[in-house]
Amino acid sequence: MKTIVVTTIFIILSTSAFAKTTLSWWQFWTDPNIKPVIEEMVSEFEKQNPDIDVELTDLTWANGHEKIVIAFASGTGPDIVELGSDWIAEFAVNGHLYDITSDISSTKSEYAGWGMSTYNDKIYAKPWFLGTRVVFANRALLNKAGYDSTFAPVTFTQFKEAVYKIDSLDKNIYGFGSNTAEKHRLYKKFLPFFWSYGATIFDDENRLCLVASDFAIKALQFYKDIHDSCGYVDTQRGIEDAFLDGKIGLIISGDWLLKRIENENRKFNLVSSLIPGEKYPGRSFLGGEFLAINKASDKKEAAVKFIDFITSPDNQVKFCKANRSANPSSKTACQDPYFASNVHLQTFIKQMNLAKHPPVDPDWVFIEEAIEKAVEEALFGDGLPATAMLEARYKIEEIKNK
Amino acid sequence: MIKRKSSAFLFVLPWVVTLFLFWVYPIIYSFIIGFTDRQLLSKDYSWVGIANYTKLLSDQQFLLALKNTMIFVVGTIPLTTVIALVLALLVNKQFKGRAIFRAGFFLPSITSMVVIALIFTNLYQRGGYIAMLAEMVGYTAPQNGFLFDKATALYSIMGMDIWMAVGYYMLIFLSGLKSIPDELYEAAEISGASKIKQFFSITLPLLKPVMLFIIVINSIKSFQVFVEIFVMTKGKFETATIVYYIYEMGLTTKFNFGYASAAAYILFFIIAFFSLFQFYLMRKRNTAW
Amino acid sequence: MVKRIVRYIALSTILLIMIFPLIWMFRISLMSAGESILVKNFVSSSVTFQNYLDLFKQMKMGMYFFNSMLVGLLVTLGNILFCFMTAYSISRYKSLSNKLLFSSVIFILMIPAHILIIPMYLLMVKLGIYDSYFALILPWLVNPIGIFLVKQYIDSLPSSMEEAARIDGAGEFRILFRIVMPLCKPVLAVLAIQIFFTNWNSFLFPFILTQSESIRTLPVALALIQGHQSIDWQHLMAGSSIAVLPVLVIFLFMQRQIVSGITSGGIKQ
Repeated sequence: MKTIVVTTIFIILSTSAFAKTTLSWWQFWTDPNIKPVIEEMVSEFEKQNPDIDVELTDLTWANGHEKIVIAFASGTGPDIVELGSDWIAEFAVNGHLYDITSDISSTKSEYAGWGMSTYNDKIYAKPWFLGTRVVFANRALLNKAGYDSTFAPVTFTQFKEAVYKIDSLDKNIYGFGSNTAEKHRLYKKFLPFFWSYGATIFDDENRLCLVASDFAIKALQFYKDIHDSCGYVDTQRGIEDAFLDGKIGLIISGDWLLKRIENENRKFNLVSSLIPGEKYPGRSFLGGEFLAINKASDKKEAAVKFIDFITSPDNQVKFCKANRSANPSSKTACQDPYFASNVHLQTFIKQMNLAKHPPVDPDWVFIEEAIEKAVEEALFGDGLPATAMLEARYKIEEIKNK
Repeated sequence: MIKRKSSAFLFVLPWVVTLFLFWVYPIIYSFIIGFTDRQLLSKDYSWVGIANYTKLLSDQQFLLALKNTMIFVVGTIPLTTVIALVLALLVNKQFKGRAIFRAGFFLPSITSMVVIALIFTNLYQRGGYIAMLAEMVGYTAPQNGFLFDKATALYSIMGMDIWMAVGYYMLIFLSGLKSIPDELYEAAEISGASKIKQFFSITLPLLKPVMLFIIVINSIKSFQVFVEIFVMTKGKFETATIVYYIYEMGLTTKFNFGYASAAAYILFFIIAFFSLFQFYLMRKRNTAW
Repeated sequence: MVKRIVRYIALSTILLIMIFPLIWMFRISLMSAGESILVKNFVSSSVTFQNYLDLFKQMKMGMYFFNSMLVGLLVTLGNILFCFMTAYSISRYKSLSNKLLFSSVIFILMIPAHILIIPMYLLMVKLGIYDSYFALILPWLVNPIGIFLVKQYIDSLPSSMEEAARIDGAGEFRILFRIVMPLCKPVLAVLAIQIFFTNWNSFLFPFILTQSESIRTLPVALALIQGHQSIDWQHLMAGSSIAVLPVLVIFLFMQRQIVSGITSGGIKQ
């Protein structure tokens, strides 16, 4: 009898030890301020689920996309992967992502951003953090240009006027921070103007490519005008450096700028406002980071559990506070007093409701490249906005007809 | 005797394995996939004949990369060669502190290209050191910095490459200068030839093989420019070169292996011409070494 | 006298042009983060080693350094051994097959390696060593340039000592490593430095044949960090200085070998 009990206990113990599941997770947060927060969440999860281990691998934005493509293609992808919103369709259409539609149905209403991870009516990833861009201005320069201390540009006319006025203050002061030809960055600055002018990339049926519409050309002309006459052209980092040094009046940037101002203890009189539009505020760029599960994973149940845990409202608030992120995907998290405490965070939350994401399209990376090329042609080459956009349209049509 | 043969075989085995596995196989394999439409994401691929080659020759991006590469080669090589020769002549004579100058001139060429490219990205930027120097001599630096302007970006990178390479070729010139017998100069001195005449009638003709050698190895290297482009401009502002194009086509978003391999082979044929020339020169110089 | 002064002024100006960028790199690396980088403040800017500490503490600089060192040393050792063995064999056994072998060395010397990035990548994936230390080491363990260099040297050595040892009944390995290798020390030192430098600085192949951060080498790490939002010039230049340091130290102590390696002609940059 005794031996049987002992043996049974032994078997139970040993099988539970063997049954330990190891989840691999690839993610992009490597910043020394944030990594510990991520690690803390992971160990909290492991504590709550003693039968699951999570193995973290860091990706970088510089080559993360390539790494994920290669891993999926060779069948060595992780169980869970953090994806930029614009990649989801590409991986879904190649059959690499697990359809989580039924797993998330009970919590769907809690989160925002599903539009970016839905392809052919199926949901392939869960929104974690959303991201948008707003207009930041230097209050001191606005004042110098004759604006009162409550002014923030709302319309294109006001925006352009503020840019020109600040630019004419001094030879070394620029009106607008204009991105140089940087892959994956330039188009995010142009699309807000593109959309705010009423242009769209495709028609409602997703058939016709409309990037060469009159609206689109007008938007590019507007962007080119402020770039040509008032632009401080540099990388995103360089623009932000110059902006914080007081050399630029208005820039478009994301919530990371708030984090930077705080980390570097800067005294900076910052104005944040919404992307301008024709009469009312316009539409900004909406992106986000998502968590997706590998279709080939044999630990889907544990993986679903894990992404539910990581994206829980509490964890989102914890993360946002550490990273000064402005846009959690969880609606409960948005209600946290932290986000009401700061006027700039509120601008981001307001802008989020007026933001638009690019079409969810497996060929998006190529479409993006075509649009970016057109903007480059108009800003840095010899191309006219109209011909540049027309060329982009031909290229996109070629991609879609393939 | 048998024993010797077998050990000789053993000695060369590592090279033979490396040769076939990491050189011969990729060279042949690359040639073959250049005739297919192979990509990373689609599993099956088919034979497309010379379609990749014909498409490349009408691909604006590729032709631009080809043009940029040619500008790079034609622009850097004469300057590098001449400057390297001048430097060699300057430090050839015995004088105090010569070793320091030689070492200083040479130092950039053993530094990592990534590091050099990062430093020059800083030097070339708006308000940077080079913009300041340029304005001192009355040249208006491009508003957005040298690298963010298609009129200057490629030439700026070329300038950096020349700066980096001259010390290296200076050393090769020095070894060439050393092999010129002093008696020739003494004889010229006696017959009353000026220094300039001596340079053109003795130094230059005798340095000709060294100079040819330098031009050829430098061309082969310059045709393969990649790192500086990757670090400094990512191929923007009309700076993409052929190797950069191959990288972008084959190993980023598109993963278009077949097409990129065909592009690589076009570059291969161009360089092969120079290589054969180098082979010829090396055979001639073999005994001198 | 005047002529001499003019020459020194000219040479010093050139020297300044040649080494200023490296000094500037080092200077920036010592400025405190957040400080504006201006040439006119070269002297007055602050001096701190904080950036270096940050790199090791927060950015895994130690790991990149270790990876570069490990790969560099292993490849160098491999080349010393294998290039020597191959070169000896080609130099001493003058059969037809060895002549062919030497032609292969010359032929490969002419192949522009950069055009092989696609097939190399596919080969590594096929061999299952893509994204591992093996991909960084295996293909470069024996180098045609090295074989060429050592072969030229061994050609100039008399073979009488080997013959004597052979008559005494010494085995081939013994002859190779006990008799010939010590004689080849000078050329092997030249080879070692050249190979180590090339490897330490190499970017393209480590960049395309690996993905993981844990095996990333220094140049690749520097190039990838550069695109990152949160890196500033101060930290980037501190990282660059760390990458230059070993090269500089070796250069200071072994200048003669480096110079002779280059002037013997076979070594590419």
